[in-house]
Amino acid sequence: MRYVVGYSANARGRDAVSLAVALARGRGASLDLVLVVPEVQQFGAAHAPKAGFENLLNEQARQWLDEALALVPADVPAQGHIRTGDSDAQALIEAAEELGADILVIGATSSGLFKRFSIGSVASALLHASTVPVALAPHGYHRKDALTRISCGLGTRAGAEQLLDFALGMAANRKVPLRVVSLLALDGGDSAAAAEAAREYAEQTVAAGAPVDPEGVQPAAKTEVVVAQGRSIEEAVDGLDWEDGEVMVIGSSRLAQARSIFLGSTANRILRALPVPMLVVPSGYELKHQNQSTPNDTSREAHQ
Amino acid sequence: MSTEQATAKTSHDTHAGLSAKGLKAGSVGLLGAVVIGVSCIAPAYTLTAALGPTVAEVGVQLPAIFLVGFIPMLLVAFGYRELNNAMPDAGTSFTWASRAFGPWIGWMGGWGLIAATIIVLSNLAAVAVDFFYLMLAQLFGNPELADLTLNLPLNIATTLVFIALACWISYRGMETTKGVQYVLVAFQLFVLGWFAVAAFSHVANGTAFDATAITPEWFNPFAVESFSAFAAGVSLSIFIYWGWDVTLTMNEETRNPEKTPGRAATVTVLVIVIIYMTVALATLAFAGIGQEGLGAGNPENQGSIFAVLAGPVMGPFAILMSLSILSSSAASLQSTFVSPARTLLAMGHYKALPSKFGKISPTFKSPSYATIAAAVAAAGFYVITRTTSENALWDTITALGMMICFYYGITALACVWFFRAEAFSGARAFFFKFLAPLLGGVILLVMFVKTAYDSMDPAYGSGSSVGGIGLVFILGMGVILLGAVLMLVMARIRPEFFKGQVLPKS
Repeated sequence: MRYVVGYSANARGRDAVSLAVALARGRGASLDLVLVVPEVQQFGAAHAPKAGFENLLNEQARQWLDEALALVPADVPAQGHIRTGDSDAQALIEAAEELGADILVIGATSSGLFKRFSIGSVASALLHASTVPVALAPHGYHRKDALTRISCGLGTRAGAEQLLDFALGMAANRKVPLRVVSLLALDGGDSAAAAEAAREYAEQTVAAGAPVDPEGVQPAAKTEVVVAQGRSIEEAVDGLDWEDGEVMVIGSSRLAQARSIFLGSTANRILRALPVPMLVVPSGYELKHQNQSTPNDTSREAHQ
Repeated sequence: MSTEQATAKTSHDTHAGLSAKGLKAGSVGLLGAVVIGVSCIAPAYTLTAALGPTVAEVGVQLPAIFLVGFIPMLLVAFGYRELNNAMPDAGTSFTWASRAFGPWIGWMGGWGLIAATIIVLSNLAAVAVDFFYLMLAQLFGNPELADLTLNLPLNIATTLVFIALACWISYRGMETTKGVQYVLVAFQLFVLGWFAVAAFSHVANGTAFDATAITPEWFNPFAVESFSAFAAGVSLSIFIYWGWDVTLTMNEETRNPEKTPGRAATVTVLVIVIIYMTVALATLAFAGIGQEGLGAGNPENQGSIFAVLAGPVMGPFAILMSLSILSSSAASLQSTFVSPARTLLAMGHYKALPSKFGKISPTFKSPSYATIAAAVAAAGFYVITRTTSENALWDTITALGMMICFYYGITALACVWFFRAEAFSGARAFFFKFLAPLLGGVILLVMFVKTAYDSMDPAYGSGSSVGGIGLVFILGMGVILLGAVLMLVMARIRPEFFKGQVLPKS
């Protein structure tokens, strides 16, 4: 298991390291901290040869990575990488693919002016293009202990079973409970019936998802199905209780290209309201790994 | 596209290690390198800024001086290339002069480089503002809009906004992309060509302002009246080739490091010389050097010659000239910010300046403090010049020429001294590491001293003076003196560098 962490030497980068440590603990994963430095262009730099600046930039980057590695506790193996690229998001996706990462972890924002999740430009670009699941650390995330619960946000769209597989695998591997959440935004009306329909769907999906487990572990025993209601998605999210050590897993919209993430409008709104980290899984992600049935697959996040 | 770099790391013991991978191969071809060279020179901007002041010094010998001015630049650039190959460093002149002559001269060399780029930043912004208002006037057919630039508070405010914008763009680490540079360079060359053709056809049709026949005498540098005028002319024409040396220093980033930089430098200088000659001849043939009206000798026209001549020469298409100069000076404004910022960063890094100058922004990975410091200095310089000078553009360009002679002279001699042990090891080393930089450096320092001495005359340059001493002298020497004072302060509060402990002589 390898998690790639998109690091920058600011609050956002430290949020990402904390979340990556929390994700890695209880799963025995190793971390690859990737710092992207811009490609120094000769175009548009009059009177200044680029060679020397690159050296200073790389020296600074190494120093930053050393500081970042010092943030990682000794029980979590970690490596630092300096990548050069014009686009941070693109360089991180390439690093994640080359290193065979299972999750890409980044800080969602560095700005405290807006809500906890006002997505930064790098995070936003990643959410539109990443081929691996992206974990977003909210502003000021500093918890480094192992996760205590996984929540899985289910919609009614295609791909829900795959998402649930992924969340079940995550919970079973970490031996923590799974909570399946169906979020309803209701404008008054027939709320009871809608809630019941949502619960029924979620329970069916859990039941359908459980037999996938090849080793006979029964994660369903620890699975709880919750329907959250509110006049808006934000209100529904606020109405739930959240543990400090919880992570919310959601799927990306089916608008996405196959196997890349695209946040649907619902997921985007959840992101803004959520007090815990969020893990966004690209559509069709599990299929990719089920199709590649190599022995290595046993270590994949979605499998046991 | 991204590449992973080899990272060496020894101190981490427990769970860390850095991985390694090869560097990306170079990707700039000959055309790309020429575009970089031409865009660094920004011919439309340099011509509008330097043509008038040079005519004021040397009159019709303008083409001769433009040609002669290239010689010291070429000689110095050879030395610059040798130093850059031996010690590639963001501090360039500062680092090299420190390694050759020790911390004190090194510091002043770095200061000269920073001062020159700060001065050119304020001039670029001012030229951009002039053409911004001129373009608005042409766009709306309302000449009064062009005169807004004469309104002192408005002019200063607009210039500061331009500087702030360019600083913000640099701070965010955004750079002009390759595609934009290609377009800007092509557009500049096209518009300058158009201007020359239009000017010559006015001369042929008898509609020129002051049709002047071209004579071989225009190309004779010895026809310049006095050595003072010659020195001033050469130090101005150093400015018009400033930036050309960048093409020689591109190595690993080119597709063929053996051949591309040399070829690119040659092609660039051919393109530049052809366009300079054509435009200089066209301007003189059309407008003459008279002191009245559109004459290139009219002090009113000297700050920005195309702002005056583009309309009469190009008619309704003069707006293209405004657009070309506005876009190229705005792009240069942003790209020139990189230079003082990186030098300040290197000086902070080597403990020659307070450590905050060595700060790199964690979010944007650009020299954060140094970029803002450069912007504040450029803004301050502009406000001072604008409020004290009758013709700020003219005087800043003259002071700039002096400053370039100063730090290029130091750099060239640093090359001679640094390589003194191998100077006689072969013909190539003798020429490139010794003779060329020695000649170039001595010529530039002589020009510097001569210009500095002459500029004490209150009638020098635009004729502005403070306390009976020429403003150009006060600007140029004031900046150098300020550097010396700051150097002494730094030596007190951060003596490490000045004891030669950071960048030892070699």
